Amino acid sequence: MSKHRLGEFEEVVLLTVAILHGEAYGIAIIHEIEERLNRKVSIGSLQVVLKRLEKKDYLTSAFGEATKVRGGKRKRFFTVTNLGKQALEETKAQRLNLWNAIPKTAWGN
Amino acid sequence: MEPTNTHTPPAWLLKLFRWFCHPEYVEDIEGDLTERFQLLVEESGVRKARFRFFWEIIRLIRPTLIKPLFPNLFIQSAMLTHNLLITYRSFLRNKSSFLINLVGLSTGLACVILILLWIQDEWNFDKFHEKDARLYQVMENQHFNGGINTTHETSGPTAEKLQKEFPQIEYATTVIPSNWYDFDRLTLSVGEKRTIAAGQYVGKDYFNIFSFPMIEGDKNQVLADKNSMVISRSLAERLFQTHTGIIGKEIRLQQERNFIISGVFEDVPPNSSIRFDFAMSVELYKDIAPWIETWNGGPLSYVIVHEGTDVGGLNQEVSQMMLKMDENSIRRPFLTSFSEGYLHGKYEDGRMVGGRIEYVRLFSLVALFILLIACINFMNLSTARAGVRLKEIGIKKTVGASRSSLISQYLGESIILSVLALLLASILVLVSLPEFNLITRKQLTFPSELWTITSIIGIAIGTGMLAGSYPALYLSNLSVIQIIKGKLKTSFGELWLRRGLVVFQFSLSFILMVAVWVVYQQMQYVQTQNIGYDKEQVIIFDIQGKVKEDPDIFLEELRRQKGVLNAGLSSHDLTGKSWTSWGGIRWEGMAEDDNRKIELAGVGFDFLETMGIEVISGRSFSKEYRSDSVDVMFNEAAISMMGYTAEEAVGKPIDFWGNTRKIIGITKNFHFESMHEEVRPMVFFHMSTGGLKYVMARLLKGQEQETLTHLSAFYEEINPGFSLDYKFMDEDYQAFYEAEQRVAHLSKYFTFLAILISCMGILGLAAFSAERRTKEIGIRKILGATPWRIINLLSMDFSKMVLVAILIGLPASYYLAREWLNGFAYKIDLTYGYFLGATILTFLIAWSTVSLQSLRAASINPVDCLKDE
Repeated sequence: MSKHRLGEFEEVVLLTVAILHGEAYGIAIIHEIEERLNRKVSIGSLQVVLKRLEKKDYLTSAFGEATKVRGGKRKRFFTVTNLGKQALEETKAQRLNLWNAIPKTAWGN
Repeated sequence: MEPTNTHTPPAWLLKLFRWFCHPEYVEDIEGDLTERFQLLVEESGVRKARFRFFWEIIRLIRPTLIKPLFPNLFIQSAMLTHNLLITYRSFLRNKSSFLINLVGLSTGLACVILILLWIQDEWNFDKFHEKDARLYQVMENQHFNGGINTTHETSGPTAEKLQKEFPQIEYATTVIPSNWYDFDRLTLSVGEKRTIAAGQYVGKDYFNIFSFPMIEGDKNQVLADKNSMVISRSLAERLFQTHTGIIGKEIRLQQERNFIISGVFEDVPPNSSIRFDFAMSVELYKDIAPWIETWNGGPLSYVIVHEGTDVGGLNQEVSQMMLKMDENSIRRPFLTSFSEGYLHGKYEDGRMVGGRIEYVRLFSLVALFILLIACINFMNLSTARAGVRLKEIGIKKTVGASRSSLISQYLGESIILSVLALLLASILVLVSLPEFNLITRKQLTFPSELWTITSIIGIAIGTGMLAGSYPALYLSNLSVIQIIKGKLKTSFGELWLRRGLVVFQFSLSFILMVAVWVVYQQMQYVQTQNIGYDKEQVIIFDIQGKVKEDPDIFLEELRRQKGVLNAGLSSHDLTGKSWTSWGGIRWEGMAEDDNRKIELAGVGFDFLETMGIEVISGRSFSKEYRSDSVDVMFNEAAISMMGYTAEEAVGKPIDFWGNTRKIIGITKNFHFESMHEEVRPMVFFHMSTGGLKYVMARLLKGQEQETLTHLSAFYEEINPGFSLDYKFMDEDYQAFYEAEQRVAHLSKYFTFLAILISCMGILGLAAFSAERRTKEIGIRKILGATPWRIINLLSMDFSKMVLVAILIGLPASYYLAREWLNGFAYKIDLTYGYFLGATILTFLIAWSTVSLQSLRAASINPVDCLKDE
């Protein structure tokens, strides 16, 4: 058993943050996910997950400048930490491992 | 991608969001929300954006994102224990003020609880009847020349006629109540067993109208027969040792008539104004006293109306009922709610003008007043002690305590105190209830119903909050710098309020002190005053049974008994409770329209001698003169009304019920009514049997007990089937002043209470001013003032206030005492002694209360109070 375990949505968020590379903040992440995966993400659930990932040290965050679009609120930019990267890689390896273990005849064609 | 529009999301939604959202998320989420809103405005317009914004905020309300309900549970519980500890310590430190407050609040609360119990009982009086809402008493307005007299007595056939003629009436009954004649002390016997009980004659539907539940017997049928009797549970137990299975048994009334028991009802509850132990059919009474069936008779009538009856309309018809039969009738019957009659029983000029409800209102006010004064005294004391706690508050404030936390601390403190006071008050109530019941003649019990208990607890906590609110707001509002420097300003108005309160409390105490003293002296006076005959060691009892047949023979026997000095017979009981009759006497020179009344007293031989009534002129009735059976005697008052002197009156003829009679003697005036009344004219005439109702016997002093034991046995032997049911005349005489005795009793307690409360008021003020003047006292001491001078200085202030209070109280108490004494025809003089005494006492109380405080203030070391500036 691995010590890193990611939920499905956590994995998606982590990957998206990695994709956005330095430009990852709330709304941007949501847009990215919505565009790429064609799935609705609510602001609240994203923020909860971001907070949780940060607590697990998979993400770090830094404040950007306050902008008018955000009503004077600052953007919080997220980046994936080494630990986050490890977790992602481990998850990917586990999945691959599972994929590889499927017998060829299992799909029936 | 800078937005070009200037639209902003709705502010109230943002506010709402900020209010509920967990602080950790607020900035991020708010930023996201706003950004998305802006994007949406560009894409789809403001309306849609706003709607989406609203929707998203609603969706944010979820457990993980909202603020925790108890953000700092730990800190709160820590503060709570801290506050409790501080409360406990401050109680310990200021033991005296804590105790004073506790005593003040708990006596106040105890008073309020007692008054509440009383009020509740008054409200519920007579309300227990199931058909209470439809139960009406028939009353009559009698239109005389001089005005309207309102009475409960109705014409005999009223109830029957109402039921016959008005379809709105479901049931009606005629009642001959148990307070007629001697119906409240009738002898009932079963075999050898006897008891004395109160009975009434009622109609057959009586138990359908009033809810005195039947244990046995059918309430519709119990009084269908003239020889039926319904008895109460306790009466049944007295006579049969059981209350079941006695239907059909025989019971004997006054050793004259037998009845068959047809039912047993539950005892009449204490909150009923109708009191009786057994009931018989009114049909029987119509046989005994046929006059009751005339339209001039006077029994009581009650009805039950059908549901939904317009009683106002019905009353208009009922009032014309008598006029229809006789156009000259002065009687105008009307229906009035039976249970309301208890509190609203006073009529003037045919209109209801109040009654006991006035007392209920008065006492509600008194309760409120007591509570308010207790609260204000509490406020006074706690703000006065504030100085001691200023450092605590200052430091708390400096460290960052919010105002609300300070307020809750002080409120909490006073609520804890009021709950403690409630516990003490409950004990006080429990202890004083028996005495209270004695005074109020009620059977109140400690509250057991949930709503009474909760309302009492509510009152206690409310009191705590009210009492604590001023100190809490006042102390928490002080600025830190003021506090730490120890400078406190007192507003002028506030000081006046405090002073006014003390003045008011002392005036009240003064008035009550005078009142108690005057009432006590007057009661002493009326009871020790020579009333004109010797009321000690005289017993009185009814003539009944065999004695009725030949009272003179009985009297002979009675006189011969050991310990009996003398005995006489009379139609008048001399203590004003008999049925008295007037009129029928005319004398020489009497004006034609003179309708002054003369009290009639039919007496046997030796009556005047037995009672020790002095004959001042002429002679008393004597067996030696045959003519005495037709001659008469008068008292002085009657003689002077006729315009004679005592000497010349003897031998004069007068007209008595159409016969000419001779005056043989004049008695000295004596009191046969209370001292509220002047002695009224009275005539004595000789009676042998018939109208004579009472036996009076004078017993040998010092041997009353043995004589009475002996007489009881003698009586049962000579008058089989009856017990000797006697009363001492002096006890009967006491009953005249029952109301006054109660006033005296009550005012004694109220005086004690008022003094207690004013002492606390002045103590609070003394503490307050001593606190405020610490610096002044310190400086005075340094400049050489002796402690004595300081005490003087502080006491002077209060002496002035007490003086003002007495100046206010003097005229008020004089007026009240004079008014009260004016109710007596014979009274004490209202001398200055009462007022002087009360003045001295008031000053003494005030000084002794204040001196403790002043002494403490005067003995402080100037260094202590001056060092911190």
